Amino acid sequence: MPISHQLLRPVSIGFIVLSFIVALLVNLLPWQVSIANFAPDFVALFIVYWALNQPRRVGVATAFILGVLMDVGDGNVLGQHALAYSVIAYLVLIRQRQMAVFAFWQQALIVFGLLTLAQVIMVIVRMALGAPFVGWAYFAGSVLAALLWPPLSNLMLMHQRKSVPDEL
Amino acid sequence: MQTSPPAFFKQGPKPLTRLLIFSLLSIGLIVGDAQYSMLGRIREQVSVLLYPLQWAATAPFATLRNTADFLSRQTELMAENRQLNDAQLAARAQAMRLKALEAENASLRELSVRRDTVGQSSQLTEILYNGRDPFTSRLIVDRGEQQGVRSGQIAIDASGVVGQVVRVQPLTAEIRLISDRNQMVPVVVERNQLRTVVYGMGAHQPLEVRNMAPNVDIQLGDVLVTSGIDGIYPVGLPVAKVVKVERGSSFARVVCAPVAAVDRHRFLLLLDHRSDMPPYPEAASQPAGAGKHKKGN
Repeated sequence: MPISHQLLRPVSIGFIVLSFIVALLVNLLPWQVSIANFAPDFVALFIVYWALNQPRRVGVATAFILGVLMDVGDGNVLGQHALAYSVIAYLVLIRQRQMAVFAFWQQALIVFGLLTLAQVIMVIVRMALGAPFVGWAYFAGSVLAALLWPPLSNLMLMHQRKSVPDEL
Repeated sequence: MQTSPPAFFKQGPKPLTRLLIFSLLSIGLIVGDAQYSMLGRIREQVSVLLYPLQWAATAPFATLRNTADFLSRQTELMAENRQLNDAQLAARAQAMRLKALEAENASLRELSVRRDTVGQSSQLTEILYNGRDPFTSRLIVDRGEQQGVRSGQIAIDASGVVGQVVRVQPLTAEIRLISDRNQMVPVVVERNQLRTVVYGMGAHQPLEVRNMAPNVDIQLGDVLVTSGIDGIYPVGLPVAKVVKVERGSSFARVVCAPVAAVDRHRFLLLLDHRSDMPPYPEAASQPAGAGKHKKGN
């Protein structure tokens, strides 16, 4: 059920921060080289999730800061993730009200588009700096991230759902 | 939402304004980092902030491995222990002879003027994780500036050169593997002392020796070892083995495979090699008065 159809408990800042810390942790896990391409970018996924659900708290600035953290953690060009994350956060924010009424599977399609866009931005940045094209397997992570979207959204909303439904 | 929202809903600058601000900032960072590499300090600060997370991400795996090691069978260990004791006795006898040889060798070395193969100190590091960036091949290791790691140090494993430290942070360091596209290693062919440079061609790709004449004396199976000419790599570390030589076009195409197991490791050795190279001669760096004025470090 889309988020806008339910009355939810407010979410605490601490919970948002915790979710981002967990996402960073998962991204920094020592992935095997062979499957590193298939690992979804959880930080990007959570940026989209929170920008969609808490647009007043999580926006372009948060995305930028998380991007810088990812850049340092991965040891790549500083600003590459920051730029990509800022752009997807902005795109979610301007269409937030539309996206919020979509069903989860429709949101998943949008998430796939957004994460792929983030990767395209990073590829463009790196190719502009002289790196060769990395191959199509690089984009596999976005497909998995989109597949993860419905279960992830349900899991995150579980925390906010009320145990007893409102009586009218 | 046809007109501007009422004051109640106003929340600071609009998303577009924010996007512009932060994307300009990002592009500034990208340009500053890639073109001028002047953001080392920022990177260091952020990396200290990030270290607890890096540690938390890798610690469970390290613990798991340690427990697995701990639980390896007792009998196996005892047998191994006995075997090692025997081996040690044999080795001790050999070591005595070796000491004499070493002394002899040292006195011989003093006669010749080579100074660059003196015993090197080294540092054992554990790999924290592979850099996830698919554009480069890098490793993050658990020693940094505070443990005395310096940029430019060479990382080796038991069989040969693995890479070079390219970026040092207070608690971690980044190692660029020899397969990275930007990594070049000055080498000599062990068989005939032909000097050349071996280039990386990207992650999981073989190495390549470029710009060699078609009749160059390199054969299948030749071993390339470091030449030590640059003053960064110590002399004589194995780097690569020639696996393919194509002599079709105007240049020979020499493809090599790294000797070290570049892709699978837990531990690496960082060599602390510092050679006292004499400065570059003044005249050689100024052909016809053009170009930059170079000086040795």
